[in-house]
Amino acid sequence: MSILTEKKGVVRSSKSRKDVHSYETGITEEELLKKEFITPEDVYIFVRLKQMYLKLILRDSKFGDMDSGTTLFEIAKPPQHEIDGNDPDNLLEEIDPNTGRFVRYQFTPQFLKLKTVGATVEFTVGKNAVNKFRMIERHYFRDKILKTFDFEFGYCIPNSKNTCEHIYEFPSINNELGEEMIKSPFETRSDSFYFVDDVLIMHNKADYAYNGGLQNNTSARP
Amino acid sequence: MGLHSILKKLKQKEKEVRLLMLGLDNAGKTTVVKRFCGEDINTISPTYGFNIKTVDHTVNNYEYKLNIWDVGGQTSLRSYWRNYFECTDGLIWVVDSSDVDRLEDCRSELKKLLAEERLAGATLLVFANKQDLSDSLNVGQIKEILDLETLKTHHWFILPCSAVTGENLVEGIDWLLKDISARIFTLD
Repeated sequence: MSILTEKKGVVRSSKSRKDVHSYETGITEEELLKKEFITPEDVYIFVRLKQMYLKLILRDSKFGDMDSGTTLFEIAKPPQHEIDGNDPDNLLEEIDPNTGRFVRYQFTPQFLKLKTVGATVEFTVGKNAVNKFRMIERHYFRDKILKTFDFEFGYCIPNSKNTCEHIYEFPSINNELGEEMIKSPFETRSDSFYFVDDVLIMHNKADYAYNGGLQNNTSARP
Repeated sequence: MGLHSILKKLKQKEKEVRLLMLGLDNAGKTTVVKRFCGEDINTISPTYGFNIKTVDHTVNNYEYKLNIWDVGGQTSLRSYWRNYFECTDGLIWVVDSSDVDRLEDCRSELKKLLAEERLAGATLLVFANKQDLSDSLNVGQIKEILDLETLKTHHWFILPCSAVTGENLVEGIDWLLKDISARIFTLD
């Protein structure tokens, strides 16, 4: 990634969109639906994975300390939140073909102090097997990459229910960056790309705020 | 393990290890993984597919990135196991030591796996699980039934364990990683 851009708003947004485009080597959902020469099988691959949803589990214990594992909370819902219409970035989001697959997370500043985080993806497969299933996920603050996952599930059994949890050390975020992230709600974002046989079949986006519990205090200040 | 795979391993800055966890249904595979990762084990249901965990684990100051593949053990799922053999560094065979009636079945399934070419380079760790149950066979009896002493094709180790109490889970994984490490990562 390039150096931090100092400009806000449009520049930042178009940056993140560039990242998106660089991965669009296959067919997106929207493109798939528009194409006339689409085969039933193409649609079927997509439909089979449509039930996929993200479940995020946060744990604060260091791995290996078996009795102190604490799940802070779990979010398990299909992406359904539309983004705020007052957000200027929304203009760009709206033309994005995947805007419906968007989740917004609101955390407290305490989240940035976590050491270990587990992120779980759960998905079900229909009556046909799925070959070479792969997930790439990128988390970034503005144009700074915080974490990248690239994981190949490979083969998925027909009629199966599968889970994948990545447990990882939370990227070390220094105080300065952490403060900036807390002060800049929803400028921390992630893109999740799902591929079947090297074809992009789904793209989910999320953004994150870490000022939970702070906003009210600030506005209520005399 | 071919030369290509060895070179591939060396390129990784972190020691990434792929562990495949198999065994008959109800052996406790998912519980073993969850307990190992310090999670709640009270609400585990049969696995009709796979559960993958990727987690960092340190042994002797070496940090490993474990990719643990726990694939369901129902009879109907066993024919799919072969889809997960590729690139496996360690095979963890989980045995329900109290399920005496199915130990013969357990032995023959393990035998089949050990004959698989794509698992030829994998180290075998056997967990004689459910030692917390009073009617469980001990590790010596399990070893004998599984005929491990005659196994010459794979590095192997068997440990009594309990996914409920956590007994020997870390010890077993640590042994597995040390063995894999000695075979695969010796060139760095």
